[in-house]
Amino acid sequence: MAGIAAERYTGASIKRSEDPRILTGAGRYVDDIKLPGMLHAAFVRSPLAHARVLSVDVSAARALPGVVAALTGAELEAMTVPGPDPLMALIGGAGPTPEFTLLATDKVRFMGDPVAIVIAESRYVAEDGCELVDAEYDDLPPVTNAAFALDPGSPPLFANLGDNIARPRSRSEFGDVSGTFADADSVVHFHIDVHRHQNVPMEGRGCVASYDASLGVMTVYAATQSVHVSRIAVATRLGIEHDKVRVLADDIGGSFGLKIGASREELAVAAASRLVGQPVKWVEDRSENLTASGQAREESFDVRAAVSNDGDLLGLDVKMVIDTGSYPGMGTMVPAIMEAMLPGPYKLAALGFESTAVITNKASYVAYRGPWASETFVRERVLDLIAKDLGLDPVEIRLRNVAPRTDPPALMITGRPLVGVTSKESLERVAQLVDFPAFRRRQAEARAQGRYLGIGVATFIEAAPGPRSPEGPSGPMGMEFMRLRLEENGIVALFTGQMPHGQSHQTTLAQIAADEFGVPFEQVRIVVGDTDVVPFGLTGGSRSATMTGGVALHGARQLKAKVLDFAAHLMEASAQDLLITDGNVWVRGDPASAIAVSEVARRAASGQFGADVDAKLEVEATFDGGEGGWSGGTHCAIVEVDVETGIVKVERYVAAEDCGALINPAVVEGQIRGGVAQGIGAVLLERSAYGEDGSFQSATFMDYLMPTACDVPRIEIEHLETVPLDADVNFRGVGEGGMIVAPPTVVNAIEDALSPFGVRIYEQHLPPARILELIAAADSGQ
Amino acid sequence: MVDITLRVNGATCTGSPEARKTLADFLRDDLNLTGTHVGCEHGVCGACTVIVDGRAVRSCLMLAVQAADSEVTTIEGLAPDGGLGTVQQAMWDSHSFQCGFCTPGFVMQAVAFLSDHPDAGEQQIREALSGNICRCTGYQSIIDGVLLAAERSRKR
Repeated sequence: MAGIAAERYTGASIKRSEDPRILTGAGRYVDDIKLPGMLHAAFVRSPLAHARVLSVDVSAARALPGVVAALTGAELEAMTVPGPDPLMALIGGAGPTPEFTLLATDKVRFMGDPVAIVIAESRYVAEDGCELVDAEYDDLPPVTNAAFALDPGSPPLFANLGDNIARPRSRSEFGDVSGTFADADSVVHFHIDVHRHQNVPMEGRGCVASYDASLGVMTVYAATQSVHVSRIAVATRLGIEHDKVRVLADDIGGSFGLKIGASREELAVAAASRLVGQPVKWVEDRSENLTASGQAREESFDVRAAVSNDGDLLGLDVKMVIDTGSYPGMGTMVPAIMEAMLPGPYKLAALGFESTAVITNKASYVAYRGPWASETFVRERVLDLIAKDLGLDPVEIRLRNVAPRTDPPALMITGRPLVGVTSKESLERVAQLVDFPAFRRRQAEARAQGRYLGIGVATFIEAAPGPRSPEGPSGPMGMEFMRLRLEENGIVALFTGQMPHGQSHQTTLAQIAADEFGVPFEQVRIVVGDTDVVPFGLTGGSRSATMTGGVALHGARQLKAKVLDFAAHLMEASAQDLLITDGNVWVRGDPASAIAVSEVARRAASGQFGADVDAKLEVEATFDGGEGGWSGGTHCAIVEVDVETGIVKVERYVAAEDCGALINPAVVEGQIRGGVAQGIGAVLLERSAYGEDGSFQSATFMDYLMPTACDVPRIEIEHLETVPLDADVNFRGVGEGGMIVAPPTVVNAIEDALSPFGVRIYEQHLPPARILELIAAADSGQ
Repeated sequence: MVDITLRVNGATCTGSPEARKTLADFLRDDLNLTGTHVGCEHGVCGACTVIVDGRAVRSCLMLAVQAADSEVTTIEGLAPDGGLGTVQQAMWDSHSFQCGFCTPGFVMQAVAFLSDHPDAGEQQIREALSGNICRCTGYQSIIDGVLLAAERSRKR
């Protein structure tokens, strides 16, 4: 093609265009924003888990030089609009939604609940002011666990609910549950617990709110997964018309589900800015982040499994209780996702699923990378427990139960088609990569020397985006929007509602658009983070690979067609005969005809053409997910457990994953490894710990232990790209899988290591002290 | 307020921070060097690491007044010509980071460590960086970047 480059960016590990600024300190995170006249906020927080607020006296704080305002919950309430959790208001949580104030007024519901805000000339002085706020409380009995919350006699956190049930018990049955259990060779019964842990992005929550009274416009510089979701919250709770609220965001230091909209604190900061008429910044410190930003998991499962003597998992009957913490939101939605996903890739004949969501005096439940992940933990733990009873190998029991890939595809017992699922392939690939017989020999030799090695596998699927529903016209994840424009200088600009916070969208979306449009990678610009110019969108739920990758591809195709139509006028050629490659438009077969895309754009902007010519080189694209599809895979861990100290070392970790076509392999691998590291942390280190009085006990990094470079091994990744489903878009999401499947993988390996002691594991958090307890209990025959 | 003079990224700076102001806040607020990030303010996460008189230091645990008369290097000072230093370039080439918040601390820690241990191997590098927390990457890409930087430095 006459020297015009035709290499493809999509599928290559293109170096990230985000990195030059990030590596030089030139990234702009919310705490880097400095506006003229900007003040700083700090919050007074409850030292008690559950108490009536008797009084909050801010007068001494107000008198402190440098303090501009100090507001109680009641004062703030008078300036804002009451309502439920803004995210729940948007997407509709199940069950009763208690209305609550931005800052606590009548009572505090967890240790760290904000009761007053102090605005001052510096964060130092704002914190000095907080020290001077005198809040008096009358203790109430704390509701610190789900069992007490379920007790009708527990003191209700919300008077309007009358009890501590956020979502009442509900039960669904799929298939013939009673028949399946009656006919099974055996029914086994386990109780499985998942502990509370949390997102912990390295940048906490924060914002700068700036109200312009003369224009009546509120501008919020946010750290958020969606500027539009944040805008809805600010406009709704502050009573400002949506179009008068502008939310902006730049670089964001991680989130993992935490920063979906505007938090209570951020809304309070915005209200304070409106009151004082100056910009106000709040960036939470690490103690606030750990104590008050939100936490996840803490679910318990009462599991009955119907099993055949050959190792067929015929049915599951699960009773789940989820502890949603103090201000119910996301936690009320998770059980329904778990119910749908619990069968995984396996051919269960029946599923009974019962769930209850309760309210306790802990930080609120928030989304954390794969919020429904515990269904995979439960299922993959149960499979290993059954395999142990029957003397089956963990790969063997999974291969036996996994649904075969058929046409038409097998249906999950909960309804969705397992189209294109490659669980079987990933299990077989992991078995090849790891060489189980060789490991078993090494394991036996090590045991003879008093060393305890173990191997664990686990399999998952992730609806990223999920299969296209046979009945519905809309895709599996709704619509994704994008505006694309050829700028006057030839830059192809993509306006997306995605709000990247580590996912590398600036790189990956440019790869796709550059290929589809025909310009160099550097000639594509990704515009994010401004409600005035980007369409609605949200980064979360592993949706961006398919949904945004897809809309970028189709949008670039539409924009290209429009540009060619215009270029056809300029070049006096038929649009069908024109190509765009490497940033040039040319007539097929005549490379000498080439003119730069930037020249076409400049001519379009000049206005020098007839009224019959459409020179608006801009399109609004939508994408419904196409044929969709599943992500998934199998992970395998080899661990060594020191039975004297209880320390677990992950010696080797292998992942065989299928996320369809890879946009950027290095980015995909980074997502997988990061998720696995969080999963290893969840099992071996991390726990959001509460005392019996409801006091929070892991408010620093000395108490909430994060995995370090010495805790996370090299993670070997094998990509499977087995089944294309869509004519164009076969990229699938990979953001959550690592965190979903790593915990059962590691726990299965630990149980295998401890099998000489007869240890059986029914929980997820296994720090050294707990490992020693499990060994001691097994030794003593408990 | 205490008057101090120090050298930051090769330039002489003066300031009058409160005695209680951390070096991290002084760099960020008073000198507008916002590349130094504050991740925990209790010395565990390492995001705020800068180099003071040749040693990697947690700028959240050091007061600005303690840095008086010192030579401080921040992420902004590694490649004053607007390019990338050896460690930065190797980390770009290795896809080391995702959200970028921990990045300045890792880069400064790696620069300080490699200058003292140019022949370090993987395990040594892991231990040297184990005082810096990254929540996104699982560390492998960061370790690979430091190994690559070490290899390139040795070849020079």
